[in-house]
Amino acid sequence: MLAEALARHRWWIALTLLGIAAAAVVPFVLMPFHVRVGQMILLSTGLGLAWTLLGGFAGYWSFGHTAFIGLGAFAAGLFEVNALGTEFMRTDPLLGFALGLLAGMAACAVAAALVAWPILRLRGIYFAVAMLGVAQVLSELTNSIEAFQGSLGLVLPRIPAFGLRTEAVFYYLLLIAAVIILAIAFLVKNARIGQGLAAMREDEDTARMLGVPTERYKITMFVLSAALTGALGVIYAHSLGYITTGSVYRTDFSLNMIVYNLLGGIGTLVGPLIGAAIMVLLTQVVLGSFLNLHMFLTGAMLVALVVAAPKGIMGGLAGTWQSWRRRRTAAP
Amino acid sequence: MARIARRTLFRLAGGTALAMPALHTGHAQARKLVFGGSVPLSGGAAETGLNVNNGYATAVKFINEQGGVDIAGTRYQLELKLFDDASDPSRATTLIQRLIDDRVDFFLGSFGSNIVLPTAAITERAEKPMVQAGGGSDQIFTQGYRYVFGMYPRATRQFQSTVAFFKSLTPQPKTFSVIATNDAFSKTFAAGIVKDCTAGGFQLIENYLLPEQISDTSSVLSSVRSKTPDMLLCAMHDQNSLLVARQMIATGTNVGLLFQGLGPQLTSYREALGRYANGIFYPTYWDRRSTWKDPFFGSPTKFAEYYAKNFTRPLAYHCAAGAACIITYVKAMQAARSIDPVKVRDALAATDLETLYGRIKFTPEGDGDAVVMGPSVGQVLKGQGEVVYPAGAKTADLLWPVPDWDKKS
Amino acid sequence: MLAVQTIADGLVLGGLYALAAVGFSLIFGVLGVVNLSHGAIVMMGAYLTWFVWHTTGLDPLLAIPPVMLVLFAFGYVYQRGLIQLAVDRSSLLASMLVTFGVALMLRNLLVLVFSPDFKSITPGYAFNYLRLGEVTIDLVRISALAASLALLGALAWVLNRTRIGRVIRATAQQELAARLCGVNARHVYGMTFGVSAAFAGASGAILGIVLPFAPPDEANWTLNAFVVVVLGGVGSPSGALLGGLVLGLISTATSQLIGPAFPNAMMFLILVLMLMVRPAGLLGNAFAASR
Repeated sequence: MLAEALARHRWWIALTLLGIAAAAVVPFVLMPFHVRVGQMILLSTGLGLAWTLLGGFAGYWSFGHTAFIGLGAFAAGLFEVNALGTEFMRTDPLLGFALGLLAGMAACAVAAALVAWPILRLRGIYFAVAMLGVAQVLSELTNSIEAFQGSLGLVLPRIPAFGLRTEAVFYYLLLIAAVIILAIAFLVKNARIGQGLAAMREDEDTARMLGVPTERYKITMFVLSAALTGALGVIYAHSLGYITTGSVYRTDFSLNMIVYNLLGGIGTLVGPLIGAAIMVLLTQVVLGSFLNLHMFLTGAMLVALVVAAPKGIMGGLAGTWQSWRRRRTAAP
Repeated sequence: MARIARRTLFRLAGGTALAMPALHTGHAQARKLVFGGSVPLSGGAAETGLNVNNGYATAVKFINEQGGVDIAGTRYQLELKLFDDASDPSRATTLIQRLIDDRVDFFLGSFGSNIVLPTAAITERAEKPMVQAGGGSDQIFTQGYRYVFGMYPRATRQFQSTVAFFKSLTPQPKTFSVIATNDAFSKTFAAGIVKDCTAGGFQLIENYLLPEQISDTSSVLSSVRSKTPDMLLCAMHDQNSLLVARQMIATGTNVGLLFQGLGPQLTSYREALGRYANGIFYPTYWDRRSTWKDPFFGSPTKFAEYYAKNFTRPLAYHCAAGAACIITYVKAMQAARSIDPVKVRDALAATDLETLYGRIKFTPEGDGDAVVMGPSVGQVLKGQGEVVYPAGAKTADLLWPVPDWDKKS
Repeated sequence: MLAVQTIADGLVLGGLYALAAVGFSLIFGVLGVVNLSHGAIVMMGAYLTWFVWHTTGLDPLLAIPPVMLVLFAFGYVYQRGLIQLAVDRSSLLASMLVTFGVALMLRNLLVLVFSPDFKSITPGYAFNYLRLGEVTIDLVRISALAASLALLGALAWVLNRTRIGRVIRATAQQELAARLCGVNARHVYGMTFGVSAAFAGASGAILGIVLPFAPPDEANWTLNAFVVVVLGGVGSPSGALLGGLVLGLISTATSQLIGPAFPNAMMFLILVLMLMVRPAGLLGNAFAASR
């Protein structure tokens, strides 16, 4: 199954490898600002892909995935500061960061596994709203419980730079993370589970009747998606260096993950990249220096997007491509 | 050399003019001195953001109208390059980096420590100074950063002068309760209140913590009514302060002394409460009638007049603090006889200067000196904000004891 | 005595929550659309009322009818012009993003028109209070509660007793059947959205009298509406009222018993639990009966 998929997508894979190689040289040729923009694009792509594991593949749209960005960030930060301690982080920052990353991912996976069974019984809008609620609960608790330091803020230990500039370090970390998530998404999509999920997305009850273990599949995707989102949260938090509740539990993170997918094309693998690149370039580069209108323009773009390109750019392209082929074959 | 190559490459590659860093303008026209930074113009801190922004703009406009400034024999016109960070740290860090790439050397600050700290980490690494009038949380000044300066003492040190005032009162209050909201600034400010008041011999009755956004305080107020303190001290942002005050009046919750960290300074707050505002205490950092000498505007009064000519928005003390950031920068450059950011940083650290905002002197960590730049105590009297303590700065006589809400005139 | 005070405060707060959420509930019940711009419409109501009060000195409670009229028109046009288009071309879930985009635009417009400063509406009676024994409640909150209950009652009357109300309910339960009976479903959806926006505007007016407000507050009112609807049930004024009152009580009781910093956390915890146990809310979906 996998070998066949690899063969079928060989051009895409070659293109992706080329893209990764090109992305890897970016910090050496572009200005730091553009590296930071690249960092945001990679983060957003990774988030979009992690979201799509559940939202795009299984059709469970989470409106509260920022829960795992925040949980990952705070779990890792508190683990590094309190469990490992400043001394450990100073002598072996790399190991410390790696352990923190694992702690953050583990916290997200455990939390997701705990709520998965009851929450995944909900469908459609009810699941979306429940996830929004989960994010709010975690955010409020982080803010209100003294030990979590959400309101005072948490200063995260620095991680080694290997002689690179800070933004380049995080750029590479996010590049690696995004590539890994992309690979996972590719494997899932082309494995047995991926087909089961596709069936589920179309009609969950029928899929279950036909013997697809829907319960197990969706719980797996939920936990996987949460852990990967958490990993990105950990890296993001370290790139800021200091976080409060408000910097990692952000409703706009949750909504943007959906926007990237919708804009690029939901359920596709290249969609989140296209969506993230367009959104980040527009909001932070093109609209960056608009002092008081950028929010209005971002909102207007969202509206225009859903109305004008309801299937996203990939969906739109695919549609055009098919109708073009149809016309060609129809022509005598 | 490498830098030039990189730029050229980028110019070739870059499609849109917008994506490119603005080019360093040449030598032909008057030299430009650029100040960059972020201000929160949307989101919860937008009110303060706009005030600080107008302060910067007032100082820059005035100085340019005077023909610019002379630094070591060269004339410069000032220019602002600001963006809205929308209280989003990732947006703020990305856009701060753009300014650094644009070779902006001098930075002005945002608001809220979750924005100021990550951006300060970038300017610090680039060795560019940041003078800011928006962040007072302790964390900003305990990172060992050398290039960040603040126009206020750190939050936990802002209360020392006020405790001295409480002690000067007869009849003497003895007990106090604190209401704080759950955000970094308010929480540290409240911690400072508790520390300094306890050290001053006052007895803490209750320390209430509210969510960051409040819509109802009735449960806290019923507790205040059942365990009434002599002084109720509020650490929260202005919108919340007004809600607390309104609900206190509208439930007949009387305390001997009501002190609110932010709020009574604003005209809109005082207008909303009308006569009930009279007698409420607050920390004040600035008064337009004070007699400071300013190297550019001359005096706070003249600054206020010039501001009124250019803006319809009411003048707030954050405007004065913002203008003082620019003036402090310019004077430091003149003292350093250079616009090299490292030299300017050293001159900023050594600053001891009178401006329209008061005397400016920083601690070795960069925040305002707690004695020199600490607040005076203000009280609302006849609907106006007046300074009542210390004696040297006072503009009106203290109203004490303060009558109950329903006896106010 | 503290317990009585807590309950009284909770009920007063709950009335506000209920009115602020009823429009959201109606749209969700009838159109199936989750309106993330609901809070922004609430804020529009608050700002319009402030504007009327500030410029003419008209009592803010008297400003409610004109504000409702203006927002009804806004809601109707918004639905027919935009939401319907998004639902037709994309999906119900995607239409949520349209409403989010509109929320951003409205918030930005409010900042541009009214400045980011907080505003407050303080009519002469804003500072008076009632004292019954040891229970103290401010007059303005009592009048807010009374106005909320009156408006909720009016909405229930419209939905149950008038022609348009019957048509709205019929369309919500069986769109196809209603159409076959000659109902112009699109017009009905527009009307529903208009009614919802009008009641959001009214709640904004009332909130404006009770609380100082600023444009970013819109997000809170959208979130509150979510919780109220999930608690009480979808689509009916009585569901919103029940949800609102329960939420108000939870909020004041939590801050009294657990700590004043925790009401929001508790609110959303109950939202999640409620969804898991009984996703249709305490009273269920008012329109789901025949679906």
